[in-house]
Amino acid sequence: MVLHILNRSPFASRVHEDMLRAMVNEDRVLLIEDGVSAALKAGITLLPTIDERLYALKEDLEARGLSQRCDPCVNIVDVDGFVALTEQADKVVSWF
Amino acid sequence: MNYALIVYGAPYSQQAAHSALRFAEALPHRGHRAATVFFYHDGIYNATRLMTPPQDEPNLRQRWSLLAKAHNTSLLVCVASALKRGIVDNKEARRHGLDGDSLAPEFELTGLGQLLDAALTHDCVVTFGA
Repeated sequence: MVLHILNRSPFASRVHEDMLRAMVNEDRVLLIEDGVSAALKAGITLLPTIDERLYALKEDLEARGLSQRCDPCVNIVDVDGFVALTEQADKVVSWF
Repeated sequence: MNYALIVYGAPYSQQAAHSALRFAEALPHRGHRAATVFFYHDGIYNATRLMTPPQDEPNLRQRWSLLAKAHNTSLLVCVASALKRGIVDNKEARRHGLDGDSLAPEFELTGLGQLLDAALTHDCVVTFGA
């Protein structure tokens, strides 16, 4: 499993499209920094087919006031959860 | 596990340094360690000894320094990225006839070979892009 880290808002950058093309079935996505805006209902439509493999960093959601606005399919993890995701991954790839 | 982190973002400009520090500080909670942090591109500005942020804002240089002391973390700075941006150690300052150095003592100027070495010898590499 590859963990893909996205730190760009999908409304401001198209790098998420490159990420989606590089992903295979079991890969996961962690949204951090401005990338957490992809966890909004409007953002989730730009990351189709990921569903339950989508994670967002709690601290960065809170810093932007978005905690209560996430789509229910997003798994919210804190920084310890971020570390746990990297433990489970064979490789970690960052998109920025 | 031993982690290598790569930081591309300048302090106080992008969030990369904050994200990397928060991640590095959390690693021991799960029994891991940030063994190496490699500063690349504008990330090299994290290594200036002249950083003087207001007292009510996070002092990133101090936090890197505390991390290095607590976990014996190597703070490696890309020498090519650093020199052209004015981050020099004492040796480079003398070599280039400069009137002072700017690299903080916990940091070390290194080449890209060290980055490759970190990628090959550490259990996990995480990049914090800017």
